[in-house]
Amino acid sequence: MSSVTEAPPSSLGRQRFAPLRALLADPFTGAALILVAGFLITAALAPWLAPYSPTKIDVLHKLQPPSAEHWFGTDHLGRDLLSRIVFGTRTALTIAMVSVVIAGAIGLLLGLIAGYGPRWLDALLVLTFDSLNSLPMIMFALAIITVLGAGTSTLIIVIAATSFPSYARLIRAQTLALKNSDYILAERLLDAGTVRIIFVHLLPNVVGPLIILLSMDIPVVIMVEAGLSFLGLGVRPPTPSWGSILYDGYTSIRSAPFMVIFGGFPLVLATLGFTFLGEGLRDYLDPRLKLRRPA
Amino acid sequence: MTGWNIDRRKFLKAAGALGAGLMMRPGFAWSADGDTLRIRMEGDLQTLDPAFMNGGIEDVIMRGIYVTLNRFGDLREGSPWAPWGAEKLEQKDPKTIAFTLIDGLKWSNGFGAVTADDVKFSYERIAHPDLGSPWAYQFEQLDHIEAVDARNGIIHLKSPYQPLFVVSLPYYGGHILSRVGMEKAGGKFTTEPPATCGPYIFADWQQKQKVTLTTNPNWPGPRPEFGKVEIYIVSDDQAAQLAYEADAFDYTKIATSATKAVKVSPPADTAVIEAQSTRYVWLTINMLSPRLQDIKVRQAVQYGVDVGQILIGVYDDLVPRSTGVVQPGSKFARAKNLIEGADYEKSAALLAEAGVNDLTLTLTVMNDSIRTATAQIIQASLEQAGIKVEIQPYDEAAFWGVGDKTQGDGYKNIDLALMDFAGGVDPSENLVWFRPDQIGAYNWSGFDSPEYEAAYEDLVAEMDPAKRIELSNRMEDLMEQSGCFMFICHQPLVAIHRTGLEPVIYPDGHPNPVLFKKKA
Repeated sequence: MSSVTEAPPSSLGRQRFAPLRALLADPFTGAALILVAGFLITAALAPWLAPYSPTKIDVLHKLQPPSAEHWFGTDHLGRDLLSRIVFGTRTALTIAMVSVVIAGAIGLLLGLIAGYGPRWLDALLVLTFDSLNSLPMIMFALAIITVLGAGTSTLIIVIAATSFPSYARLIRAQTLALKNSDYILAERLLDAGTVRIIFVHLLPNVVGPLIILLSMDIPVVIMVEAGLSFLGLGVRPPTPSWGSILYDGYTSIRSAPFMVIFGGFPLVLATLGFTFLGEGLRDYLDPRLKLRRPA
Repeated sequence: MTGWNIDRRKFLKAAGALGAGLMMRPGFAWSADGDTLRIRMEGDLQTLDPAFMNGGIEDVIMRGIYVTLNRFGDLREGSPWAPWGAEKLEQKDPKTIAFTLIDGLKWSNGFGAVTADDVKFSYERIAHPDLGSPWAYQFEQLDHIEAVDARNGIIHLKSPYQPLFVVSLPYYGGHILSRVGMEKAGGKFTTEPPATCGPYIFADWQQKQKVTLTTNPNWPGPRPEFGKVEIYIVSDDQAAQLAYEADAFDYTKIATSATKAVKVSPPADTAVIEAQSTRYVWLTINMLSPRLQDIKVRQAVQYGVDVGQILIGVYDDLVPRSTGVVQPGSKFARAKNLIEGADYEKSAALLAEAGVNDLTLTLTVMNDSIRTATAQIIQASLEQAGIKVEIQPYDEAAFWGVGDKTQGDGYKNIDLALMDFAGGVDPSENLVWFRPDQIGAYNWSGFDSPEYEAAYEDLVAEMDPAKRIELSNRMEDLMEQSGCFMFICHQPLVAIHRTGLEPVIYPDGHPNPVLFKKKA
């Protein structure tokens, strides 16, 4: 099995694409990469890919079955289902990416501070992380949504607030392991400032596991967004969301079961894609884990 | 001693014999064919104190375990009222009503006979402002009750109150409690009534699952057709329909969206009830909002909403457009709305006259399928009139807090809200919520009309039916002219039941199992 450490340095071009080749070498990761790329392209090109406006209501043609005109049929308000799913991809990925990046950035910063800072600050931050971690995400989400009202920004706040403590914990552990390593001690002896040590020397060495964790959390966040939207507490209508499409489909399941089928399909594919990609990335960035796994 | 020895064949034989024996036992049944009626309600109970009833399942249980002086008949027959706990109920003059309780009514737990003094206690308790009952308005004209003797009493009103027989006596606040029982309970209780006297006993409650009522052996009135009523708690209409199809109950309300399919192909042994409920739906346009203080802007909203699209898109054309809060088809209903249909040009012109550009309003709505679908049609419709709408969904508990003045001044900032209330038989029951004293409680539009208040007071006192119609119509005209309301519809009531049943449905849309019959 190839990995970045094993890639033959035969040419610059080959070296440049070595990580991609390594990921594609595993069939699951390869398929996942294609799926994720497909979702990213769909999200980016949604206005061009969707055949109709995702919010255009046409009640006279509601719950139409799939046809040449509407490939996935229409929803309970006569909107084109394919267009809503395409734009729903954008909603799901935007919320997932933005909230995970924000949570990752906060977790990274606070984890580095906790790991490298004075002991009292570490204790205070760990207490904060653990307190936030102890809150069940859905209950916390419901409480915040009740106060702020449903909406995209509320969702991002909720997801970021409940996710960052685990990232911070991870980074703190990595930082604690590295803070007394030889090269950090050498930097200290050379009078390097704390900020420089943290951001120039520690950060690049702790960020790898964080990237793996972030990539593996994206499907979780997609599911949370879909779940809250299913409950009517996610994005505001008429913004298309896979969760709200599923809910609308559920309420019309007897007369239009295709809504649930078409609405659920991208959710399943996205979850599988991001999960397998995350595992592939983990194997690639930390080959020791892969060696330990059974063949 | 013979040892216990059983093989598979013996086990099957024994099980078969036991099953056959059970099935042949007289009175045994799994459904309405026998002595057990199984109905489904959406939510669990929180209280069995009539003064604090929330409706729903509590309403159904209380009809079984307490009595009211009179009761309603079926919604589809115009909800006629008839004496129930009283054998005689007589209006002596506009302010005096005499009643005689039926003979033999007894309280459970040894609290003796039900007396006129219990009626006095119950009604005067609920009317007392210190109790803080949300149903106190039903007895706001009550002066006092005179207990003549054990079974006879006289209700004295402060001023004539025409809706007494259809709003106060047969409804929530009209349930009679035991004075002695309540005093022993310290004046209050939640889910364990100190004494009951109705045709059923509150036999069992499995929280969030099931309530069981069994017949009261001491009930002196006509024996209910079913010896046991099982009320299953299933919040979701789709799940309830599936459970019904799996023979889990005999009666359930179903989702509006399922109506067409059920009518075309009903489950086996099933009849479909399709009726117009008294639950009215309207769009609140809040004149207290800084964006909506100009009446022209409010009228622009009224002209910008295409109600026809809502009726097709959300209610499958099962119901007509309402002309007010009073149920269409009733003698009190207005002939038509003042603004009959959407007119986007008129709407845009009104905005221009008001000098308003780029108007963005927030539409507050509860987050279920029907309401959010309605909100999205309103949003799309108003967009055509040049009014941008942002939908703000809330779950039920948070929604009611938005317009509650006890939670701050937020109620003054609501722009639009999609609302629906369960109505009653008398127009006053539906119109009461828009009186000035309801601003910041149930009147979310800030509608504050002295003429409306005066008309309401006349309406409840007036005895002449023609004048009452005129008054209620005028009140709805005032509501619409204020620009604060856009009447949408009265929701359809769709329920399914076994063909062997004859259900009785109260005006609020809930079944009354006491009056359910088996078809001959």
